[in-house]
Amino acid sequence: MDLSQYAELFRTETRDHLLTFNRLLLEWEQHPDQPEPVAGIFRAVHTIKGMAATMGYARVADLAHRAETLLDRFRQGHRAVTDEELELLFRTADALEALVEASVGGRDAAVDVELLLGALDDAAGAHAAEPTARPRRISFVAAPVGVGRRIEVILRTDSPLKGARAALVLQRMAALGTVLAVEPAPAAIESDAFDGRFAFRLDATADAATIEREIRSAGDVDRIGIDAGDAVAEGDRDAGRTRHLRVDLRRLDTLMNVVGELVTARGRLEHLAAARGDAALAEDVATLSALTQRIQTEILQARMTPVWQVFDRFPRLVRDLSRQLNKQVAFKVEGKEIELDRAVLDEIGDPLVHLLRNAVDHGIEPPEERAAAGKPAAGQIVLAALRDRGAVTIVVSDDGRGLDRAKILAEAKARGVVDGSTDEVTDDLVLRVLGRSGFSTAGQVSQVSGRGVGVDVVLTRMRELGGSVEIKSTPGVGTTFTLRLPPTLAIVPALLARVGHERYALPLTHVAETVELDAGRVTRLETRDALLLRDELLPLVHLRDVLQIEGEPPRRRPVVVLQLGDRRTGLVIDRMEGQREIVVKSFRPPRGTLPIFSGATVLGDGDPVLILDAGGFA
Amino acid sequence: MILGCLLTQPRWLIFASFNKMDDFSGRLLLFRIGDLACAAPATTVREILPPQRATRIPGAPPPVEGLINVRGELVTLVDGARLLGRGPGVDGGALVLLEWAATTVALAADEVLDLVPLGSVELEAREELVGIDPGVVQAVGRHAGRSFVVLALDALLGPLLTVQEDV
Repeated sequence: MDLSQYAELFRTETRDHLLTFNRLLLEWEQHPDQPEPVAGIFRAVHTIKGMAATMGYARVADLAHRAETLLDRFRQGHRAVTDEELELLFRTADALEALVEASVGGRDAAVDVELLLGALDDAAGAHAAEPTARPRRISFVAAPVGVGRRIEVILRTDSPLKGARAALVLQRMAALGTVLAVEPAPAAIESDAFDGRFAFRLDATADAATIEREIRSAGDVDRIGIDAGDAVAEGDRDAGRTRHLRVDLRRLDTLMNVVGELVTARGRLEHLAAARGDAALAEDVATLSALTQRIQTEILQARMTPVWQVFDRFPRLVRDLSRQLNKQVAFKVEGKEIELDRAVLDEIGDPLVHLLRNAVDHGIEPPEERAAAGKPAAGQIVLAALRDRGAVTIVVSDDGRGLDRAKILAEAKARGVVDGSTDEVTDDLVLRVLGRSGFSTAGQVSQVSGRGVGVDVVLTRMRELGGSVEIKSTPGVGTTFTLRLPPTLAIVPALLARVGHERYALPLTHVAETVELDAGRVTRLETRDALLLRDELLPLVHLRDVLQIEGEPPRRRPVVVLQLGDRRTGLVIDRMEGQREIVVKSFRPPRGTLPIFSGATVLGDGDPVLILDAGGFA
Repeated sequence: MILGCLLTQPRWLIFASFNKMDDFSGRLLLFRIGDLACAAPATTVREILPPQRATRIPGAPPPVEGLINVRGELVTLVDGARLLGRGPGVDGGALVLLEWAATTVALAADEVLDLVPLGSVELEAREELVGIDPGVVQAVGRHAGRSFVVLALDALLGPLLTVQEDV
């Protein structure tokens, strides 16, 4: 039976269950004598076991089965869990994750879990696990009429091996509640003649939408009939109509690309309509524009994903790190429901790991040092997501010792970032020094961090994403990193700047304002021009010079003020050509390309235009 | 001196080296760049387009004309004549879109000459080629009385187009 097409689905779903497993273990660890989380953990492990067995991943199923045996003892509720047992379960979660990945890739033999299996068996005591796991059998006992809801499922006629598919559906249902009165009989379902129609009763609290989603996730399901049953109220029926489905990310990417093209084509059409001065055409184009806009908004919305999908793995990470480093950390996550485009979300995981590691390793002091400073023994690390105008802000803050500014200044001087006479360490300077590859204030390299690859990774990634990083650090009080991100990458508002005969797009994310270049207010600041703007000297970058465009610039020119964190730079261009929504496309820069571009786009008239990276000028 | 080595070998060895390349099954597209007839395996040719204006990529080396928009996809345009060291292209009659190193590159040529089955191509040993760096020639062929060079795309495009991450 070829289940390979379900491997990806299996992996995604297992990941969800493993997140639950980890989250509940952390809860349990907080209160080892309270067994509430055990039921949820058991359910997660049990579901993984059932799915793995259906997929034929025997080693995953076996590991899950042994863990289940141990957990079952706690479900009986005799005593509090010990630290060793929790550690064993954390290791099991890790091993399951590794084994699932390996199994899906067909390399499960590469993951050795023998020792862990032994440890689980030992912990479970005399009731050692059976050597081979089998998926839990579904009860085929006839149920009293009226228990649960009656559910009918019809598999697609072209579904291969309908029996296995039906078994998968029943496994999923068993994870939701109790499955009863399955028709036809198991032998008939398993036979080759099985036509794909079957029914059962499900005694579960899940709503119809959830049940339907679970059934459909088994794949090859054509029709589902869920009898409301006595307990189901009218409202629940309505709830059943809100349909959710898992969509392959690549499909959404394709849709996004197509919409990108549509936006470009719309721009081109608007351009043509304006050039012709045809009122009727202009009206039709306006209607088309509105519709395109709606499609674009809908698709962007479909791509939005709550940050918890990435944040939920951090409590475990912080716990492990703080234990490893003998520190006490209270970790708080806020704003989990804030949404980001999937593509942005996929990219922020690594930078956040670096920041959290730094916070635990360098930020939070050992308990005795904290006590001596009059702080609570447990340090606090907060990871928060919040909406901030058009952007999403992610904050990582700790109440630790703050950054060592003397060391940073010494490093900055040694590396020539500042001249020898400087003695002021601004937050901006801190960021510039920390952001250099290879810099670390850690006296010694620990396993956790201190190799100097951290902040530079964060800065680079944020720049690639069109975001920015700010840092605030106070000695003895703590450090806060603020990451500002565009909520979506694909379509961004941008200024269109003209220099000579060329046009460039400048995303608005970092544009603070535009002012006119007043020659009378330009002075020389070290090696570059600066503009006196509201009593502040704004360093200027002449885009003409950077791009080596010859000829005379116009007399009146605008300055686009770019703001990255605390740093402001004025970009002098020839002329502004308004604001556009641009579809960001990647391109492969030829060797030698100036490092000031973050991508390219196609304008309404069909011309490609390069996108300037504000970070390249600041 | 790849060409030199290649051309001093017996003919069957040249064929052997051709046979190693899967791409060489099928046909060759012949096109003219200046006075030089060139060829590329048809499997690497995506399409032929009329010439179009490119957007300059500041900092890129001279043979790179810039970016062009091919139905929404951004493609780097390289001037074939400059690439082969023959001065700036004059006619610029056709853009040959080549699939190279997991990307698409547009090569500006003067005209497309022919599409010929590899079976009809005669590979002949020539002692020397005037005015072309032998390093950028993969082989020399002859078809219907016309000689041409099969371009070594890696050697030609590799130094221009980095194979680093996209921006």
